[in-house]
Amino acid sequence: MSEAAILTEGLSKSFGAQAAVSALSLKIQTGAVYGFLGRNGAGKTTTMRMLLGLVRPTRGSARVLGLDPAKEPELLRILERVGFVPQRKQLYGWATPAELVRMNKAYFPSWSDDAAAGLAKRLEIPMKMPFKKLSIGNQSKVALLLALAQGADILILDEPTAGLDPVMVDEILRTLIEDHISQGRTIFVSSHHLGEVEQICDWVGVLEEGRLLLESRLEEIRQEFRLVIASGEGLPVATSPNLVSATTDGRFRRYVVTREAERFAAELRGQGATILEVSPLGLRELFLHLVRKEDPCTPGNVGAKAAPVSSFS
Amino acid sequence: MLLHLNPSSGVPVYLQLEAQVKQAVAAGALRMGEALPSTRKLAAELRINPNTVARAYQDLERDGVTRSVPGGGTYVADGMSGLLKSEKVKRLRPHARQLAVEGRQLRMTREETLKLLEEELDKLGGQA
Repeated sequence: MSEAAILTEGLSKSFGAQAAVSALSLKIQTGAVYGFLGRNGAGKTTTMRMLLGLVRPTRGSARVLGLDPAKEPELLRILERVGFVPQRKQLYGWATPAELVRMNKAYFPSWSDDAAAGLAKRLEIPMKMPFKKLSIGNQSKVALLLALAQGADILILDEPTAGLDPVMVDEILRTLIEDHISQGRTIFVSSHHLGEVEQICDWVGVLEEGRLLLESRLEEIRQEFRLVIASGEGLPVATSPNLVSATTDGRFRRYVVTREAERFAAELRGQGATILEVSPLGLRELFLHLVRKEDPCTPGNVGAKAAPVSSFS
Repeated sequence: MLLHLNPSSGVPVYLQLEAQVKQAVAAGALRMGEALPSTRKLAAELRINPNTVARAYQDLERDGVTRSVPGGGTYVADGMSGLLKSEKVKRLRPHARQLAVEGRQLRMTREETLKLLEEELDKLGGQA
């Protein structure tokens, strides 16, 4: 748990005038399973591609296993030790999974034939059919098999379960836990399936329009984050450093606070508000409150402006 | 082990896990000396992060519910006998206070509140 597996500082990427990722500072500890959340186009894939040297940052820096992906010799060492499952699987379509295994193993010093054979069996992958003829689910499994058999220290997974049925998703979660997470190895995964993220991740980061809105341990979100619903006339736009989102709906206002919710509620009460609810919120609810644009408080959803909340001490 | 977790409930998963193991032990579903699955096995079975299981196991051991054997294995402890009576009272008192306060707020009589508690004890059955 000493060194960060992935660290970025002020990492930014613009395509022309369009900023895809802005001043992103992430810290992903070794052994963490980090869920990277955000709407489509938030900059998740671009961030991952920068970590793998596929996109060059406009500003800022990244370190993966202490190495700089922007420098060619260091990038090669990163690629040996990081398994990547992209959302669009661009593998040789004519090759069968068995052939892909043979092609891949040559590149990776810590490749395990046993792991590859075991995974092929357990995930029931048709190893002799051309890749392009496989179902989306089987293509995802092949990509995951290649990444896991590589013996990678870090897996970077971009929407690994998109388009898969619940049984396959369940199988893949089990495989990740047994064959990677249980060995204290790191995962950096983007997903829209917040239920899965809640199951296996211990950290989450929420990205919106290229900016990190929030980075926190998941247990801390469950334990400390609260939704406070208040009603009253002319409710104050409370300015607590623990506030990450405030939205108005008629006479009601919803606040998401990161800690000391009871004290925050008491302050609102002191200003004449009626507190209707102080309750824990699931990841899905939190995500919606953070990135939803409708009914923002003036002068805008504070979540979009607040400094990222970090619980590193 | 028959455990059912709800990761979306807002309650920390390790706490859900601890509560269910404690309940299973109290109800006799898990017997003294019985082995719990390894962290890795339980995590894979429940599809949750192994660190979450490890944390719950640590807390259960701290609370005297389980004991771990050096070199592997977590077992249900022998009736929590390791805990001093005063320590048990200390652990239970906040729950008793909570029950008393909520009973009073709901305008339940003393007898009604005690009866509820007795019913719950009866449900656990068996032992003294």
